[in-house]
Amino acid sequence: MIEFADVTRNYGPKTAVSGFSLAIPSGELFALLGPNGAGKTTTIKMLVCLLRPSRGAVRVCGFDMVKDPRNAHLHIGYVPDDPNLYDKLTGREFLWFIAEMFGMQQQHAMQRIGEVIDNFELADFADDLTESYSLGMKQRLVFASSLLHDPDVLVLDEPMVGLDPRSVRIVKDLLRKLTHQGMTVFMSTHTLAMAEEMADRVGIMVRGQLRFLGTVEELRQQMDKQATNLEQLYLELTAPQAMATGPTLSPARPDAP
Amino acid sequence: MHSPSITPVATTSSVAGTPPASRRLPSVEAESRLLFGLRARLALAALKTMLAQARLRLTLVILLSALFWGSLYGLFYEGFAFLNSLHAEIISLLFNGFFSSLLLMLVFSNAILMYSGLYCSPESRLLITLPARPEAVFFHKFQESFWFSSWGFILLGSPMLVAYGVVRNAPWTYFLLLLPFMVAFVVIPATLGGMLCMATVACVPRLRMHALAIAITASTAGAIWLGWTALASARADSLSPIWFEQTMSRLAITEQKFFPSWWLASGLIESASGKTALEGESGALMESLRFLALLASNGLMLQLLAGWLAARIYRLGFSQLSAEVTARRPLRISWFDRMLTQAGTAAGRPLRILIVKDLRLFRRDIAQWSQFVIFFGLLGLYFLNIRSFTYNNSYATMIGFLNLAVVGLILSTFTTRFVFPMISLEGRRFWILNLLPVHRDQIVWSKFLFSCVGGTLPCCGLVLLSDMMLGIRWPVVAIHEICCLVLCMGLSGIAVGMGALLPDLRETSPSKISSGFGGTLALVLSSLFIMAVVLLAAVPTHLYLSELGAATEGTRRSDLVGWAGSLEGVWAGVAAVVVLGLVATLLPLFLGLRHFRHLEA
Repeated sequence: MIEFADVTRNYGPKTAVSGFSLAIPSGELFALLGPNGAGKTTTIKMLVCLLRPSRGAVRVCGFDMVKDPRNAHLHIGYVPDDPNLYDKLTGREFLWFIAEMFGMQQQHAMQRIGEVIDNFELADFADDLTESYSLGMKQRLVFASSLLHDPDVLVLDEPMVGLDPRSVRIVKDLLRKLTHQGMTVFMSTHTLAMAEEMADRVGIMVRGQLRFLGTVEELRQQMDKQATNLEQLYLELTAPQAMATGPTLSPARPDAP
Repeated sequence: MHSPSITPVATTSSVAGTPPASRRLPSVEAESRLLFGLRARLALAALKTMLAQARLRLTLVILLSALFWGSLYGLFYEGFAFLNSLHAEIISLLFNGFFSSLLLMLVFSNAILMYSGLYCSPESRLLITLPARPEAVFFHKFQESFWFSSWGFILLGSPMLVAYGVVRNAPWTYFLLLLPFMVAFVVIPATLGGMLCMATVACVPRLRMHALAIAITASTAGAIWLGWTALASARADSLSPIWFEQTMSRLAITEQKFFPSWWLASGLIESASGKTALEGESGALMESLRFLALLASNGLMLQLLAGWLAARIYRLGFSQLSAEVTARRPLRISWFDRMLTQAGTAAGRPLRILIVKDLRLFRRDIAQWSQFVIFFGLLGLYFLNIRSFTYNNSYATMIGFLNLAVVGLILSTFTTRFVFPMISLEGRRFWILNLLPVHRDQIVWSKFLFSCVGGTLPCCGLVLLSDMMLGIRWPVVAIHEICCLVLCMGLSGIAVGMGALLPDLRETSPSKISSGFGGTLALVLSSLFIMAVVLLAAVPTHLYLSELGAATEGTRRSDLVGWAGSLEGVWAGVAAVVVLGLVATLLPLFLGLRHFRHLEA
């Protein structure tokens, strides 16, 4: 479903992402972790076509993000870390706009809008202007809009920011069910507990490169720390000394595209 | 706990190229209708909000626009009536000069607006991640920049063109065609600006701002040189027939048949000429319609080109711009900040640190200081050009006071736009200020000192320049400088005081803060203050300098007018200005300080 083929992205003289290769099949929840400045946001931006790779290719459902972004976008739902909405539209009007941009039939759009409003408990404020929404309400609305068109791939950048515990639970349950039904979820997060709980595989990025790729259990085995949680493993792997002296475990196996 | 029933994901297809029935790429027409509908909905919602929450501002805007339009109409009517006997050549030159300079300005203003809309707005980021055509996004943002840039032309140009039609006894068709002509004309530079913006961002991303700045500077310098050589002459030759002929011949460079400005000017002149199609194929109406068709067809062709370009380079430019490395800020100027912080007593140091902080924010915000430079630079250019004409003493003094009022009005737009929101903009950082060992009064006083000192230097300098160019005597210069100082203090006091009295700590946009009730009220009070100061000083001074006051001291009138025109009247006027200035400075500050001390963020 998602495919990064030896992707590199430069910002002037600096390389933000280097030789990134990854394949995520359908039904998998993948969590991308890493310290600030590791290249996670750059990777996500390339996945949703906000950035073009300097080298390599990014494909979603077989569509190249550079050559055929519009068809690729039909299969993607995206929740950014900083939800920006139209202040002077109501939540419902925003959902309609998104539905129509994805070419949804009116009847189907009406049905789906009703469903996502229920799922995300937006009914109390769906008809208020979004300028009056709190951060959590905006985040829930953006989440709802990303699922309107039943995407094959859901891209989440720090999805839990601003959500209250109830909303967090709703999102977690939703993600479990969606991946069970075949959706691919690509998530960037700093919430390691959530990644450990939810992710089928994790990738740990450091300085633009994938230092580890696999399950949390594989990480424990490679670092020979059986009873340690992901947070401890992550902190050891991304410690400044570890980053300076190079990887202490076998490099992430690049997924064959 | 509520367990949401999650709707099963609809039939998804893992085969590339076959999206399910629930989603399809919208057609070009459907996409355009959708984005146009979005624009209409947003505009309607904004209008409703304005009617509900900003009635004062809306009323003021309508009234002042009507007043402005009416004043301009009267001015142009008198001008065209005066020129009527010289009609053909003069009007054509004036129209061509005006429209060609407008053409250039609109290209660059639209380029800047499109840059902001296409590459820097959250909306464009959202649309890029949706299956929207790049050209559809371009046209969506183009509509916005088109209206932003063209309203000024329509507000300024319509009274001029209506007055021309009335003076020329133009047929009703002329007035009917005015709006189509203006719209068809503006589309051309607006589209060119959009294309220039996309091409610059995509093809020279690293140098985009420098390229644009160089182009704008070169064009502005060229226009200034053209204007300067057109108007510059020995003082003795000003307004003579020879000077007039030379000036007109210099403007002839704008009469180029491939310029859209020439098409517009020619079409309007033909349309106003009064001949109808009934008088044959060369009827003026048909001729003007041909020019309108020329404008419209070229505008539409450029729109097609722009769409073609957007489809190819908009996403590329967006990606390249997102990858731009921010330039390192030069540290050269930090010595000034350090010197400012360390100068003076230890007790005043927190105040100076706050001022330095605001100074850094000001000079790092290009939107603020560039407008400052442009407006005051243009004023300076106008003042430098004053010596082209000769004046008698009292006429020069009157112009001096008018120039003082203009400087004050420009300053008031800056204090309302940038100084008034300063307290409100601390809103999101209020937690920092609250935790510091700084009294809230010091925060307000730091804004006042920053505004007052920052405004006094350029304003007093400009007023001095104006007086030197006009050859005004030093006592009147002193009166002007006192008035200018009072204006700077009073306008700063009004802006800062009202900003502390009516803050909006939740809003992050300075333009929204200044366009609210508090900002509008501050603008109105500032305007009234400027008028009062100028009138209090100007009337006695003018009366004194005219024969009533100066030459006939022995036979002076014994009434109020006579007293006002005496030396005592002049000093009384100055004293009244100073008192008014103190009231305008201290009263709003006092009220603002009292409110701000107890404000909860």
